[in-house]
Amino acid sequence: MTSFILNFWGSIGRKCLNFISLLGHFFLFFVQVISWIFRPPWYFKRILLQILDIGYFSLPVVGLTTFFSGMVLALQTYNGFTDFNNETTVARVVLTSITRELGPVLTGLMVAGRIGAKMAAEIATMKVTEQIDALGTLGTRPMQYLIAPKVIAAVICIPFLVMIGNTIGILGGYIIAIYKLNFNPNIYLYATVEYLQWIDIVQGFVKAAIFGLIISMVSCYFGYNASKGAEGVGYATTASVVISSIMILTSTYIITALFFG
Amino acid sequence: MSKIHNKKIVIEVSNLRKSFNGNLILKDINFKLFEGESLAIIGASGSGKSVLLKNIIGLLIPDNGSIKINNINIVNLPRVAKENLLLELGITFQHGALFDSLKNWENIVFKVKNRKKLSKKDAGILALSIIKKLGLEPQILDLYPSEISGGMQKRVAIARAICGDPKILLFDEPTSGLDPVTGSLIDELIITAVKTVGGSAITITHDMASVCRIADKVILIDNKTISWSGTPKEMLKSKNSRIQEFIQSTNPKLFQ
Repeated sequence: MTSFILNFWGSIGRKCLNFISLLGHFFLFFVQVISWIFRPPWYFKRILLQILDIGYFSLPVVGLTTFFSGMVLALQTYNGFTDFNNETTVARVVLTSITRELGPVLTGLMVAGRIGAKMAAEIATMKVTEQIDALGTLGTRPMQYLIAPKVIAAVICIPFLVMIGNTIGILGGYIIAIYKLNFNPNIYLYATVEYLQWIDIVQGFVKAAIFGLIISMVSCYFGYNASKGAEGVGYATTASVVISSIMILTSTYIITALFFG
Repeated sequence: MSKIHNKKIVIEVSNLRKSFNGNLILKDINFKLFEGESLAIIGASGSGKSVLLKNIIGLLIPDNGSIKINNINIVNLPRVAKENLLLELGITFQHGALFDSLKNWENIVFKVKNRKKLSKKDAGILALSIIKKLGLEPQILDLYPSEISGGMQKRVAIARAICGDPKILLFDEPTSGLDPVTGSLIDELIITAVKTVGGSAITITHDMASVCRIADKVILIDNKTISWSGTPKEMLKSKNSRIQEFIQSTNPKLFQ
């Protein structure tokens, strides 16, 4: 019985120590990457390619997600607020939900799934096939060449993706409100513009930039520390998406609390 | 292989010891590589040959001992100085380690293009001149590594290693996984590469026939340390049981 209790607490202790060790490793990795971002040479071509990949090629998935979310939100708000089902209520709920939460969070989660997984798999494959080692021996620093451009591009692109996603989401709500719920378009648009606040836009931008940092850093971390061949690549990819998503959902609460708490 | 004319030491490993999480991999490793010399390192799988190579190129830091390249100890050398020193080396990895997102010509000139800021046209001309020396078809330059065979990938990796004419070449199992014909072709390429560059080489291999073709000196890593060293001729006559096992298991005709 005593040994069972000792083993039980021992296993919890080991897991806690492993977790603290992982946090420490991640923090060191984070600091190293940030320090490399500010040191020359800067690989502008690689940054532009990443911007194209993260920003441009994520537009369809982000657009579709936010468009349908805006439509669903308008419909649900109308059904849920039957006592107050007027143009201004639906417009206000759609606007606030999209700009403050749904736009940034859905964009973050979609990009984590699409780009985070890709980044982790790419870097992990390079790691297990010794390409990262080779890079180091060819006079190129892997963190500067591989990771810094991805982090820079993600932090730049995701706020713009969120801005576009917000617009598309609000448009989705508008289409449902006007063409299905038969609201007056002028009143709906007026309410949308009237309730639009700068703090919502700024908060959405801040969230998006932080999500960009989280997705790129977490994905690159798991990719860069991959081992054990194909299994390691699979683990890095899964871990990057799961951890990025958890961190996005956690940090969105913290940022919301800081702005509106 | 060419005889050693000059006795300048290019790589000197002294009392090297390496372990991972308390698991000892290498101990008391001592050897010297002279200018113009081709050294082969043999040993069973998992004996620590690649670990030794990764220590030499600074990817791993030994627990103990020193590694001098051109008389500069790279252990604990500041990052920039180590990077500059490593630029003097040409390295091929066990599985080629070609960048699969870059075309073959970009792989070949990667180091030189970044260092000398070559234009695309000049870099292409340089890549072409190197692959001609190695007997590769110019058509492969515009292909990606995944679009060419394993033997060609090994040759492109050698082309990348010799681009820029480094004086020290390091090859990690260059003939592993290749058929004997391609393997002997790779050996010829290594001999040509060393002659072309006029430098020194360390080759890690299991292939005894390859050792006899390319090496001036051989060291055997067994039981975590260097258990035997000598010339290929001495190796063929050696009574060392491990050496005999290696020779007989890879190519019995060599022993006859």
